[in-house]
Amino acid sequence: MACLAIASPFIGCVAHTQPDELFELKPESAANRAMQTRLFETKDGAELLSASAAVLQDLGFQVEESVREVGFLRATKERSAREYGQDITRFVVFLLSTPLILVQQPPILMPVDLHQKIAATLVTRPVNPETTRQEVRVVFYRVVWQGGGSSGQQGIPPGEQRMEMLRDAVMYQTFFAKLSKAVFLEPFAL
Amino acid sequence: MMKLENVGGILAVVVLVLIQGCAAPQPSPDLLAPTDAQMKIRSLQTRSFDIKDRQLAMRGVIAALQDLGFIIERANESLGLVTAARFAEPNFYDVVGVTVTVRSETDGRMMIRANAIYNNKPIEDPKVYQNFFATLERSLFVTKN
Repeated sequence: MACLAIASPFIGCVAHTQPDELFELKPESAANRAMQTRLFETKDGAELLSASAAVLQDLGFQVEESVREVGFLRATKERSAREYGQDITRFVVFLLSTPLILVQQPPILMPVDLHQKIAATLVTRPVNPETTRQEVRVVFYRVVWQGGGSSGQQGIPPGEQRMEMLRDAVMYQTFFAKLSKAVFLEPFAL
Repeated sequence: MMKLENVGGILAVVVLVLIQGCAAPQPSPDLLAPTDAQMKIRSLQTRSFDIKDRQLAMRGVIAALQDLGFIIERANESLGLVTAARFAEPNFYDVVGVTVTVRSETDGRMMIRANAIYNNKPIEDPKVYQNFFATLERSLFVTKN
């Protein structure tokens, strides 16, 4: 019983969102939407979609899926995820944990990010009945693979995977700046 | 004497278990028959909308899913299919997947059905689908006007 009482606050640390909350609009949904969306004054949705594909190609993405009828594109690119900061932290932690040898324990080796796959999904759609104004919404996210490490006698095998949404406003601004150049149109924010 | 009876009893149980194990379990004839629970889930997952243009409805579905933070993985216009997924943020280990189908009904309405899974387990909570359709309604209204 005592054990449970001690353990329960730690179990509580792992946040589990209920599925019904994930199907609700959140206060930050509108902000994300504004960041990911621009409007263009054009009738030609197909042209906007092909220009978007060209911009993604310029940025080094490979288009993996495209559906013209609903204005959908999905593209990915793979790159190294190595960061000096992580290597320095790994080294410092290793140095600081070397005294563990005195208690017959190996020093701690933190796993670092090795490889990443950056993906973009893009959707264009007309926003008025005359279809003279089109909306482009792009969402970036990435999958990161980690290298191996060890903590105590326990080895951490390489290949652990982590995914995250990319919510850096500058990234989206850069993309839309390139897209507006490609279609010779001035984009409007929401 | 008592001991022998005990051994006999155990043997009988063992023999029974063995015989039971040999007989292949027969699938019940109503294995694939629709159940009440299935009907209930289907009605939760389905809603009919007053839209004539299927492409417009699909674009509305995609926009609603994007608003909810889903990543659109696949779309098939001719079949009216949209597949999307998202993480159960703030943790990035649990994944929610959803498949939405858009089909024309005879009276010029659109039937939209959503199937959601949470880490490969089907979601049967009515609230999930109510929330989804509430967002979709808003998105379709925006798309129409």
